[in-house]
Amino acid sequence: MLFFSFFKTLTNQTVTIELKNDIRIRGILKSVDQYLNIKLDDVEVLDLAQYPHLSSVKNMFIRGSVVRYVMLPRSEVDVGLLEDATRREAANQAGKAR
Amino acid sequence: MSFFGFDTTLPRDRGRGPGAPKGFFENSDPFAQVALADKFVDGDAVDFEDTYDGLGDQLDDDQDEFNDDTFGGGGETAPVGRDFDFFGRTAGVADVIGEEQVRYSLQNPQAAPAPAQRAAPATAVPAESTSRRTGYEKYSEPGYIPDLQAKSSVWTQKAEPTPAPAPAPAPSRKIMSLEEVEAIEAQMRHRGQPIGGLPPQQIPQSMADLYQRHPQHFPTLPDGFPQLPPELQAQLEKGGMPHPPPGMPELYGGPGPAMPPGAPFLQNNLPPQNMPPQGPRHAGPPQGQRPQNMQQQPPPPPSSRAPNNGLPVITNPQQLMHLTEEQRNTYLVEDAKRAKRNHKIFLLSRGNGLMTPQDKNFITRIQLQQLVAAAGNVADSDPEAVLAEDFYYQVYSQIRGAPRQHPHQPLGHFAQTYLLQTGNRLGGNRHRHPLQGADNHMQRMQQQVQRAVEAAKAKPKNKQLIIEGSLGKISFSNAKAPKPMLNIKRPDSSEGPRPKKVQSDLSLSDRKSILTNIERVYSALMSMEDMERTMPPPPEEGDADAIQEHMEWRQKLQSLNQKLWKALKVMEPIVPNSTTPHPFIAFLSHPKGKKAIPRIFRHIDQEQRVTILTMIVVHLDSLDVVRLAQSIPGEAQPSLAVREAIDLFSLAVMPSLLQYVNEAPFNIIIGLLGLVIAQTHVQSVARTKVGLGILTMLLSRAELVKEAGQAPERDWQQWVEKFNVLFDTLEPVLADIFPGSINSGDDMYVWQFLAAVGIGASPEQQQRLVIAVKDRVMETVGYSKSLPADMSSQRLGNVNLFMRAIGLDVELLG
Repeated sequence: MLFFSFFKTLTNQTVTIELKNDIRIRGILKSVDQYLNIKLDDVEVLDLAQYPHLSSVKNMFIRGSVVRYVMLPRSEVDVGLLEDATRREAANQAGKAR
Repeated sequence: MSFFGFDTTLPRDRGRGPGAPKGFFENSDPFAQVALADKFVDGDAVDFEDTYDGLGDQLDDDQDEFNDDTFGGGGETAPVGRDFDFFGRTAGVADVIGEEQVRYSLQNPQAAPAPAQRAAPATAVPAESTSRRTGYEKYSEPGYIPDLQAKSSVWTQKAEPTPAPAPAPAPSRKIMSLEEVEAIEAQMRHRGQPIGGLPPQQIPQSMADLYQRHPQHFPTLPDGFPQLPPELQAQLEKGGMPHPPPGMPELYGGPGPAMPPGAPFLQNNLPPQNMPPQGPRHAGPPQGQRPQNMQQQPPPPPSSRAPNNGLPVITNPQQLMHLTEEQRNTYLVEDAKRAKRNHKIFLLSRGNGLMTPQDKNFITRIQLQQLVAAAGNVADSDPEAVLAEDFYYQVYSQIRGAPRQHPHQPLGHFAQTYLLQTGNRLGGNRHRHPLQGADNHMQRMQQQVQRAVEAAKAKPKNKQLIIEGSLGKISFSNAKAPKPMLNIKRPDSSEGPRPKKVQSDLSLSDRKSILTNIERVYSALMSMEDMERTMPPPPEEGDADAIQEHMEWRQKLQSLNQKLWKALKVMEPIVPNSTTPHPFIAFLSHPKGKKAIPRIFRHIDQEQRVTILTMIVVHLDSLDVVRLAQSIPGEAQPSLAVREAIDLFSLAVMPSLLQYVNEAPFNIIIGLLGLVIAQTHVQSVARTKVGLGILTMLLSRAELVKEAGQAPERDWQQWVEKFNVLFDTLEPVLADIFPGSINSGDDMYVWQFLAAVGIGASPEQQQRLVIAVKDRVMETVGYSKSLPADMSSQRLGNVNLFMRAIGLDVELLG
């Protein structure tokens, strides 16, 4: 649940999402769920000339499985906390595996 | 004599002697077989008179009005149709009859055993054709489970125990409850048979029979029904097929006794034109329409019927003829509209009554369980579990204030909230259904969900299900434990990484083991921080339990502290001239090691802090930030990575050290300065920012102690000795401690150091100091003149730090 927990803190931030088909979309992250499906608002497609069919799309729902990268605003990430959260997650996982 | 030698005498010609064979229908004693059978039932003969309840005697013989309809009497001369195909018709509704019997027995459990007993005589009475199959035979089979129907009445409270049927004088009527009529009609509709073609009294015969046996039960309508309005009651009294007000069973099948009689019925009390017409059939709405009319659940709101109000009620096509053209048009339009609407309702209502409210609740419960299982645990009321699952988000939102705009609830509370919401929604309905059942359902559901979740948590998860005989397997997954795509066997922890561990113990300072150490420190830190959160409230006087709790907590914290201390490896023996750095210094050489220091300092005591500080001071010139920061000739400044490390050290480690030093006793300061001089190469240490920073720290602390007059004379003497040694050592390199060239920027820390030295120095030392750095001062002052005003003043301010410390000012330099 770490990623879910993490992305939840990024709601209402502008993120850029690169899909597995190379489309890159910048928009405001409205919400995210456990499957890391993403809802974007005020969408703007980079390299729009290549994807004219997306020119009128204003918001979208992206299935989590098609996302390749999510580019985040650095200032919104608390690295130290994230490190600790990762440690906890690892400990949890190890605890479960045993 | 016949040709083939057969007996050719006709039966009528045969003798009628007792030995003569009889025709099939000529059995003289229909009960003979029963009597015969009774002999075998261990002598317990059943007397027919005993078992026959005499109900047949109570038959009401004067209700003959419909006999003509039924048997085609009267003046009708129509060709003989299939009106007398009783068997066919009975067969057509055989299922219904069976169902009705099951239903009745469920409703009326006491009645069940009686018919079984009655079965024996019944088989022998040819007149009661339908009671040959009583419908209860199945119950004699041990494993029989009745075909359960989604009858709402089944779920309601049981009927008051009916007293054993007694020959009561109550008038018996051959009418059915509305519910039964409805059920039969639904059944018929199912088979696509037009309702109208069904002679009303045929099907219910057996039911009427049943009810006749329980006269006092029957006249009161089945439980769950409110009091009927008088006109309907009257209609029922007349006998014949009553037309039920639409939607009755669905609406009122639910809990009965709690309902104030009559009140809810008002809703269904339709204005007359919506009642099914009572006149001859053909005057009614088209055939297909009627059943829908009956099904229509909530009565249409009055407003929709409003336009009709201005018109006379049309019950007969003749009436239509007398209307004006306009009225007729309006009527037809209305009619069409109504038909359309009814059709729509019909389409929507196909599933009506398929599920009882209880069924729906059951489904909702399943859905909720799914939801809860997917989303987390309802029982996440304890913050620990939430924190474990959702650590980053929880802490992040605490740190950065309340989450923006849309109020996220913590995950675990989601399900709880949802449950509450549904509770509210149902509560909103309460004015329509003044039922206590509703609340109970929700409560039960909540409890059940919670129990289900508890159980799910408790029981070890079965990861997959293999249904017997199937080829595939079903894996369960949820968001937290997704379906594993790969199934990799973990090596048993006893065999796997063991050999390596031995190796890592051998070399304490290879990168990997250092990193492992750091992680150990962090995990100890985190558990200590967790412990801190769970600190019990400070015990009050005399509260033994609280004190005990507190003691235990402290003990745990202490053991964690020991764990942390061990992981830090500060106490590892110092090996002089060793090529590998001390483990603690190695720890500090990693960024995350440096970052851990402030957190570590929060959780250790003063003694441990001074140990760490001593460790750092002793190893000052082997610290990465000192070792790598030596300015190499030809390069203006150390590499980017080193600069970052230095910045991090200054930001993370120095404040903690400074904080400690500011509280440290003077003798420790003296000792530390002695260590710097004795253990390290002071001249090279002084060329680095971190080294100078630590020296500044010690010097300024000593100065503060002196100012405050806390320093005993003997200590002070000791300090001055050390200081003199330091000064002498540093004097030759004072000009070189500045970083790079004059325009390289940040040299404030150097001026701070010089200021600290200057304050503590004797006048003679101050002279030497000025001489040593005079060039740099002049250069800086000159250089700052070429800078913009703010930068210039900043640079001059730095210089002034030092100048003021020795009683001068840049202004004097002109």
